[in-house]
Amino acid sequence: MNDTHHQLDKLFVTARAVPTDTSRIEFGFETRLLARIRAIKEDEFPWLAVTRRLLPIFAAIVVALGTWHFAESGADDTDLYAAVTAHSDEALLYAALTGE
Amino acid sequence: MTAPDDRTTHECLIRATLDGDDEAFAELVRQTKGRVFGIAARFARNHHELDDICQNIFIRVYKNLSKFRGDAPFEHWISRIAVRTCYDALRKRRREPEKISMDHHFVDKDAENKTNRSVEEAAELLRFAMAKLPAEDQFVITLLELEEKSVREIAGLTGWSEGNVKVRAFRARNSLKKILETHHE
Repeated sequence: MNDTHHQLDKLFVTARAVPTDTSRIEFGFETRLLARIRAIKEDEFPWLAVTRRLLPIFAAIVVALGTWHFAESGADDTDLYAAVTAHSDEALLYAALTGE
Repeated sequence: MTAPDDRTTHECLIRATLDGDDEAFAELVRQTKGRVFGIAARFARNHHELDDICQNIFIRVYKNLSKFRGDAPFEHWISRIAVRTCYDALRKRRREPEKISMDHHFVDKDAENKTNRSVEEAAELLRFAMAKLPAEDQFVITLLELEEKSVREIAGLTGWSEGNVKVRAFRARNSLKKILETHHE
């Protein structure tokens, strides 16, 4: 019994003395971990992934709308007839409302 | 012992991570992974399992980072999570059939060449005997005898009472002795 006790203690000493080398697993660990965290986040919040995938489409729509808006407003500024009629419409409305 | 500079760095990185900066978390991992790998390597049987346990530890850290109050050093907090995750891994292993072989590839190859055959055999014998213990006994023996933690430290890490730790350690040693005796017969 006492022999086993000593043998056990010797085994523990030996096991403690065996150095471990984890460098192979530590290499690139952060990258793998962050990828897994991103995957977990996407599982928990699927709308995040959908939003991220649709982001370029939304951006393209915003750019297209912006371009179209500026093109339209630029056309209005140079359209003299539209400017005059808009002004006369306003005058007519004023006259109708005031009775002049 | 944590240097004040480390503490400040950790606090900055934690704050940045909580603000959504995942690169800050990667840096926090880089700074603390040595200790985590050291603990987990005592419990894992091979590379694959070690990688899995360490990832689970840091995922728990990531999810619970907002609960870190900073009244104890970050390393202590992370060690506690590491130990609990290793305990969960041991219990899970008990429930699952043996799927992974005991290769222990993370033994330092240079040192392995230097150590003689009897040392390798002794380490293998201990692994064999430990694998036969229940998860709780395996856990307490690893912390007490291989990690050389005190009974008080183990109680703090596990949440068990000191008396409970002592009883489990005593029982685990006796079980190990019986396994070794049977093995010799």
